[in-house]
Amino acid sequence: MTTINQNCYDSVTEAIRREAAKLLQEQTVAAVVGYVAGRRPGTASPAVAKSAEDAEKLVFSPACVNNLALFLSKAKKGIVPKGKTAIVAKGCDLRALAGLIGESQLNREDLVVIGVACAGVFSAAGERSLPLSDANIAAKCRECTIHTPEGVDVVAGTLPQLPDFDPVEAKELARLEAMTPQERWAFWKEHFSRCIRCMACRQICPFCYCEQCLCDRNRPQAVESSPRPAGNLAWHIVRAMHLAGRCAGCAECERSCPMDIPLNLLNRRMAQELKEQYQYEAGTTPQEKGPLNQYREDDDQSFIK
Amino acid sequence: MTFAISQTNLRLLVDQLIQDGIFVVGPRRSGSMVLYEPLSKGEALTLDALPRRSAKELFFPVCEDILTYERVEGKMAVRDVDRAHYPETVLVGAPPCDAASPAILDSVFSWDYLDDFYLERRKKTTIIGMGCTRGDDACFCSAVGLAPDSVAGSDLFLTPLPGDEYACQVITEKGRSLTADYPGLFHEQSPVDPLPAPKQEMKQLNLERIKNWLDTHFDDPLWEKFADICAGCGACAFVCPACHCFDINDEGSSEKGTRRKHWDACGFGKFTNHASGHNPRDVQNKRYRNRIMHKFKYYNDKFGKTLCTGCGRCVRACPVGIDIAGILAEIDAK
Repeated sequence: MTTINQNCYDSVTEAIRREAAKLLQEQTVAAVVGYVAGRRPGTASPAVAKSAEDAEKLVFSPACVNNLALFLSKAKKGIVPKGKTAIVAKGCDLRALAGLIGESQLNREDLVVIGVACAGVFSAAGERSLPLSDANIAAKCRECTIHTPEGVDVVAGTLPQLPDFDPVEAKELARLEAMTPQERWAFWKEHFSRCIRCMACRQICPFCYCEQCLCDRNRPQAVESSPRPAGNLAWHIVRAMHLAGRCAGCAECERSCPMDIPLNLLNRRMAQELKEQYQYEAGTTPQEKGPLNQYREDDDQSFIK
Repeated sequence: MTFAISQTNLRLLVDQLIQDGIFVVGPRRSGSMVLYEPLSKGEALTLDALPRRSAKELFFPVCEDILTYERVEGKMAVRDVDRAHYPETVLVGAPPCDAASPAILDSVFSWDYLDDFYLERRKKTTIIGMGCTRGDDACFCSAVGLAPDSVAGSDLFLTPLPGDEYACQVITEKGRSLTADYPGLFHEQSPVDPLPAPKQEMKQLNLERIKNWLDTHFDDPLWEKFADICAGCGACAFVCPACHCFDINDEGSSEKGTRRKHWDACGFGKFTNHASGHNPRDVQNKRYRNRIMHKFKYYNDKFGKTLCTGCGRCVRACPVGIDIAGILAEIDAK
């Protein structure tokens, strides 16, 4: 088993605390969105630090799984005080920030981005009492290409030597691709049958900030809101399609799903499609409109028969 | 002497119940998790993990039809669901945090309105509870007045003994009749010490003191601290053995359709949204406050019971790490 040196997380924590305290003391920002340790060992929660005293409580550890960009989206308005905000961002979270800036939800100049040198975080089912290793690291981290974020205001910590991990999610996607449509249908049907429509996938997603979600409409009802096969399938298709070309791959939907539905496989498959069809990758740089929300005269129309 | 059953015979009991036309539900491996699902044989019974969702769905399903309608020759024909067809059921292998919940929920489902869907299933179900030996750091049943060996809510209670044996305690008439129907599967043995119960990190909470604080702190800055970060999903409520809010939706067309009752959650932004557009719980921390108030004050005011069994599922499931046990401890310390 390959274990990651834990010291790097301490160095990130120290750097975050130092930077956050300075930003708050000098009143450069009104708040720092970061993480604090949870009551149980190996857990952490998002937190909004508003004073130098709060800043002392900020941490970074493999338990810091959340994509904090969520708290800057319209859906969470009100919990971060008005004014300039600093945010602790892992490489994967950074792409969501770029996406939200592109969609005019955030202004870059209103943000101080504290990027973290991130060796990885725990998977949802991973044993949290042990150091981060091959056995408990999140699938997304195994294939991460942005351990040290770029384009941020400050990078907290330094990265240790990281081992090569087995790309389990890429392999799972390939396994699904190799299935017959009937087999794939059976795979998703089984997963969606467990969906209880708790909407954690929607609520945790930085891009699900619609004030009126189509799936909550009941006059008239667009998608069955009861947790049954038809509505569940419709909801997950709506979700995947609405995020195509926008989803930045933080995989928070999958991590949050209490029923272990591998939602990031859908996101990733859509991202792959966008790349093949439009040479487009979401969230690398702020861009106002992705390929699926703009029209051009020279768009391919051969599919209209 | 101890009245006991071996694990082999417990599985045989499941087989025989099924043969006798009883619907048997118990923890069963389902994909990456364990869920309460109908068993087709005793072998499928999985006793080494807490099911991801609670056993409440046996009485209060995730979603159920409550009537169907169809326009026939210009007139709307409405058909009720025939509740007489609900099968005689045995729930087997529920740990105390799950076995205790139906007895708590009975109060609300038989209060000013008799919820026949719930009550009919409840009447027809026998609960075989099982002592818990596998807690983790999210468990806090002992802190809210239950225990890993609590028999509350069970009709028959099994205490794990060394050597894959269970001591059998008959708690109710339903439990007695179950053992009487299958006498050959049970035996008498000399008493032995049960397997040790898991240790819990949480100290016993003073639920009365917590309620006293809640009585006088509907408005308090602590709510913001506790739950500003709440993402507004229903994960906590949906995995909870005691949360019981539901919504009713007519699904179908103006010609033909079904009225369905399905789980709802106070964490949802639309939960208390009025038709006028006004929402008395306009921000997330007020929704979370309702979760705590309902469990530890309102339900107590109304029915003298606490709406939490300390199973820890919400603690494990919360995508932003809100920890109800930690919150209660903080209130208790006020």
